[in-house]
Amino acid sequence: MTAQTPNPPSEGDGEPPPAAAPVHRGPPIAIAEEVLNERGERTARLLAEVVGPHAQESGGRDDLPWAVVAPENLVEVARKCRNSSELALDMLHLQFAVDYEDHIQMVYVLFSMSLDRKAILRVNLPAEDPTVDSVVGLWEAASWYERETHDLFGVEFAGNPDLSPLLLFDGFEGHPGLKSYPFNDYQEW
Amino acid sequence: MAIGDDERDAQGLPLFVPERWDREKSGRFFDSDEHGGESDGKGNHPAPNLIRSAAPGVITAKLDQLAALGRANSLWTLTFGLACCAIEMISTHMAHHDFDRFGVVTWPSPRQSDVMIVAGTVVKKMADPIRLLYEQMPDPKWVIAMGTCATSGGPYYKSYSVVMGVDHIVPVDVYVPGCPPRPEALMDGIIKLQRKIKDDAKGEQIDLLQEATDDRTDA
Amino acid sequence: MTTEQQHDTIDMMLNMGPQHPATHGVFRMVLTLDGERVLDVTPHIGYLHRGSEKLCESESYGQVVTLFDRMDYIANLNNELAFCRAAERLMSIEVPERAMYIRVILAELNRVASHALFIGTYAIDLGAMTPVMYGFRERERIQNLFEAVTGARMMHNFIRIGGVKEDVPDDFGPRVRQLIGQVREGIEEMDRLLTFNEVYLARTRGVGVIDAATAISVGLTGPSLRGSGVAYDVRKDDPYEIYPYLSYKVPIGENGDCWDRYYVRLQECYESLSMISQCLDQMEAGPTMVQMRRIARPPKGEVYVHSENPRGDIGVYLVSDGTDKPYRLKIRPPSFCNLVGLAPMTRGSYIADAVAILGSLDIVLGEVDR
Repeated sequence: MTAQTPNPPSEGDGEPPPAAAPVHRGPPIAIAEEVLNERGERTARLLAEVVGPHAQESGGRDDLPWAVVAPENLVEVARKCRNSSELALDMLHLQFAVDYEDHIQMVYVLFSMSLDRKAILRVNLPAEDPTVDSVVGLWEAASWYERETHDLFGVEFAGNPDLSPLLLFDGFEGHPGLKSYPFNDYQEW
Repeated sequence: MAIGDDERDAQGLPLFVPERWDREKSGRFFDSDEHGGESDGKGNHPAPNLIRSAAPGVITAKLDQLAALGRANSLWTLTFGLACCAIEMISTHMAHHDFDRFGVVTWPSPRQSDVMIVAGTVVKKMADPIRLLYEQMPDPKWVIAMGTCATSGGPYYKSYSVVMGVDHIVPVDVYVPGCPPRPEALMDGIIKLQRKIKDDAKGEQIDLLQEATDDRTDA
Repeated sequence: MTTEQQHDTIDMMLNMGPQHPATHGVFRMVLTLDGERVLDVTPHIGYLHRGSEKLCESESYGQVVTLFDRMDYIANLNNELAFCRAAERLMSIEVPERAMYIRVILAELNRVASHALFIGTYAIDLGAMTPVMYGFRERERIQNLFEAVTGARMMHNFIRIGGVKEDVPDDFGPRVRQLIGQVREGIEEMDRLLTFNEVYLARTRGVGVIDAATAISVGLTGPSLRGSGVAYDVRKDDPYEIYPYLSYKVPIGENGDCWDRYYVRLQECYESLSMISQCLDQMEAGPTMVQMRRIARPPKGEVYVHSENPRGDIGVYLVSDGTDKPYRLKIRPPSFCNLVGLAPMTRGSYIADAVAILGSLDIVLGEVDR
């Protein structure tokens, strides 16, 4: 990935020269097919019924359909998913954040222990102020997932009673999960 | 540490409120901070025996060697497994690769152990407890760094939260490389530590490179 | 309780610190005690947080396998299998059948080794000093076989994306059959010593009870969940590799106490051993690795795959951006999620029971902290 050398700033020009976009050298990047199988189609239909108009986008691969919801509607949608008799998504299997630089996406993986269902809910949060409501009232498992995400990514969860650092030591500055946090280039201590 | 008359708890006992809750990090906190806390690269040295400090001039060479023989053949290790190397350390203590035949017994309390085998990755959050445990061990004490994580950070050298080797925190006598080192390698480490203890008492220093070169008959 | 109400008492905080012989690693528990009764327990983790997830973003897919090895350092091959399945699903690779049989045999052997270690260390936590020797003797036998097959006792790096690294040695079949017999005898010995032992029953029966609804809400999986009566096993409910061709039972507990969780793991050992002999009967000759490029470049996309670790459900969420390094790799560690259930289980029990409950959850700190 090479960048063109920036032009030296002209006199009186206080702004830095614009950086060139990185050039990708290599084989064209393939995109994986996202196809739902039979089980997934069934769950996707039920998910669409439950989530209804709140789903901004949806899709799925194999037997896992996903839906994007707005941060304001998250708790309501999650509660409907958990309490619905057809979906019965009673276990929060995983909750984490993905840093896409301009936005942070929270992913909730929900499983059903009684029925044969799985679903993923996604929420897009702005990178400057990532705040979302906590789902700790619905699934107790969320307490530690949210603490970890708060630690490593800086996402605020409104309504979680305890967001103290879980994995990092007291006094750690910065959020290491973010892409902007640098790797240690072999630095002793 | 003022105890006022109104500062009593529900039972009427005086309430202890220290002036500051966190300890000072600078200055002399640990006993080994005396020489500025720097290591001379030769690991730990046990303090001279009482006779020498009480009556200088009395030659105690044979006594020292006898004491070293006793110490070397009965090393009690602190049960201090941090990560994966701990499993290999436990395997070494078990019946197949018996560690007890060297006199090595694993002991949970630092106040009664001789060797601290730091087995596993040292994380910055764990650095303070490691130092505290090291200082709780009475002299003479030694430290073995087991595995590449404890030696130099290991496969986690790019990580933001790993200390690149436990020798940034405590002085180390023997490094045992491997990921994880085989039980036989750890036994080799203990044997080298035993040799070091005995040779330190004699005042000699083992030079492993010289030994390896001497063993070779031909260039 | 009336005697206690006559005095004014204060609650005591007891720290079971990061260095403790019974905490299975660098785990810190702060117990709030009223006499000997535990009112609340606050677990503190992070003493082994090595940043594996962030490191995965800077290492190629082949190197990530070695990081997974070191996460749950007792069940290495199961972790490698979980990650390789995620990458293969994204790249739509079909692993050859012989490779799948080898993977399942190694994974099940690793499960037996992990449970043998669990039984041994659980017994020594409760005070029985002999079963740990027997457990580690079985582990040595299995690790001996692993060394012959994969080249290493612990960090194997054997299950690769697309299959396994190389074919098994020629005497694999007879050697494994002999091993199964020996390991079965060893596990039976520990079984006879512990399972219906009066002292053991008194220490574990009725201790740390958690009901099914709380267990599901808290996120427990694996033998800890099955001990509470929930019949969920990924190998049966979401089968992968060649598990559909094997016939085995999944042990389910009744009461959700420590003894049930121990008994579920003990029976799983026997089932795993029978699964391994079925695999040996069904295994045929064939290729062990798919033809693919050396550097794995999965297409852009996301996938979530979960499999059955000896400790529970390990999930791997892989976000790939088309390059040779993952964009985001999130690991769902079973021990991390099981630890959330420690607090509901421990409230109201004694200090000695707190040790028993923590041991019965079978956590591995490398996985909890990643």
